[in-house]
Amino acid sequence: MVTTAVQVGSLSLKNPVLAASGTFGFGREMAQYQDLSRLGGICSKGLTLRPRAGNPPPRVAETSCGMLNSVGLQNPGLDVFLRDELPFMRQQGCAVIVNVAGHSTDEYCEMCRRLDQTPVDAIELNLSCPNVREGCMLIGSDARQIESLIRQVKQETRKPVWAKLTPNVTSIGDMALAAQRGGADAIVLINTLLGLAIDYRTRRPILGNNTGGLSGPAIKPVALRMVAEVSQMVDLPLIGVGGIMNGQDAIEFLIAGASAIEIGTASLIRPTACTDILEEMTALAQADGVTDLAEYRGTLRLWGY
Amino acid sequence: MTCDHPIEHLVTVRSSRRLNSQTTVLTLEAPLIAATAAPGQFVNLSCDHFLRRPIGIMAVLRHEGLVELGIRVVGDGTRELAQKRPGDQLSVLGPLGHGFRLEGLQRVITVGGGSGVFPLFFVQQVCRERGIDALAVCGYRSKDESILRDEYAGLGCQTLFAADAGDLDVAGHAADALKQLLCQLPPVPQTAVLTCGPRPMMQAVAALARDYQLPCQVSLEERMACGIGVCLVCACQVREADGATGYQRCCVDGPVFDAEVVVW
Repeated sequence: MVTTAVQVGSLSLKNPVLAASGTFGFGREMAQYQDLSRLGGICSKGLTLRPRAGNPPPRVAETSCGMLNSVGLQNPGLDVFLRDELPFMRQQGCAVIVNVAGHSTDEYCEMCRRLDQTPVDAIELNLSCPNVREGCMLIGSDARQIESLIRQVKQETRKPVWAKLTPNVTSIGDMALAAQRGGADAIVLINTLLGLAIDYRTRRPILGNNTGGLSGPAIKPVALRMVAEVSQMVDLPLIGVGGIMNGQDAIEFLIAGASAIEIGTASLIRPTACTDILEEMTALAQADGVTDLAEYRGTLRLWGY
Repeated sequence: MTCDHPIEHLVTVRSSRRLNSQTTVLTLEAPLIAATAAPGQFVNLSCDHFLRRPIGIMAVLRHEGLVELGIRVVGDGTRELAQKRPGDQLSVLGPLGHGFRLEGLQRVITVGGGSGVFPLFFVQQVCRERGIDALAVCGYRSKDESILRDEYAGLGCQTLFAADAGDLDVAGHAADALKQLLCQLPPVPQTAVLTCGPRPMMQAVAALARDYQLPCQVSLEERMACGIGVCLVCACQVREADGATGYQRCCVDGPVFDAEVVVW
């Protein structure tokens, strides 16, 4: 038997595998294909205060070892989520993390204030969506704004607040330190990398939004490096995400310093990816003689100079 | 909760039949899909590229547990799928999506353009099983590029073949042939037009159906990823019940929509 339970700050998870925002809806479709109570938790589709239609199609372009998406936070808005989706998510027997995206500090604050009164386990601040014109990545690429936003949001809620950061910055460490100063309870690394796909025949971008966010195995090395780098700089729990396709990938993120991991694009290829990857992790641990998945955390042995 | 709804199937290619340089029919040994698939549904096939490839179901042989897929080569992924050989294995998600609704219909007219004739062949197969009167219109660029003509002829339903090049029954595209058909056709209650093909063709078919006051169902296509409704990339613009336009998911809300809601 391998112990899988992990702590992310004050939040106990039955295992370190979370479904990443935007790749799992609100769990409804995925529940048809697997027992969601086996997951550590689900991060909801990114929510905004009011409903959002999202960007014009095409919204996806395949790349080498990954894909670009430009969905643009299509979501039913917080009210509909609270009424129609949260009760369902709550019944699934795993942690419920709500991904929150705002145009402005006020919107983030209002959403967090309202979520404080609900049975969600944590709030994941989306400071990183590259597909919208306001808020999100614009806030998330400025250390001062990150710090100030988190500080204000923390006054609106007692829920754990996770800061999901964008890799589209010069120094991820600076952003992580800002999140720590602001009072974040955990840091989620990383959202998608901003990219462009071109149809050479038409000389047009493939995506209707022109640019999109790159995900999949193509970004795993970037994500791993950022987790390892940030783990040396901050004292907060980290959640690793970016191109995890199997149990070995997931364990690499734990070794780099993550307390938990999120599975994103893999779920779009294999609907049962989250539960499959958890099984692979425990099988690998068993084969390694590791009795507790938490033992892997932060055990990266860097070469010395 | 148990997983009583397997979605991913590892299936074996039974046979491969090349129709022309661009088109191949693959027959898969997939009894669970064959048992439950409805016309207009699709499967999402793994290939050597990162994303799966969504392919409409052309026919099922329920007793043999076989599923036929018509694959038109449009890029590297579909080229690789079209080159699959008997015995090859591939991972298949499906059946997926909302297909054509045949309940309550007395007569169905299918109007396919190019590779759109594939999923409509499945409609014809089911109409025959259920005793629904059916007619077919199939449009192609030219006789050389035409596909499934013998198969449609073998159904025994009235079929009109159109070619832009003018070398089949009707010169012009499928909507032109549909017009010719509707002009001569005595009205039957509960008739519907079901269409799949290039978007301008479907738009013309939908307009014609509207002129004749016939309900029309269209099978839309959009770039897809998951195929199961979670990633929201395959957005189709539709008119909602309140008159506002919004995006619905081609993969699970469609791919078949009532023509009346489609924002062309």
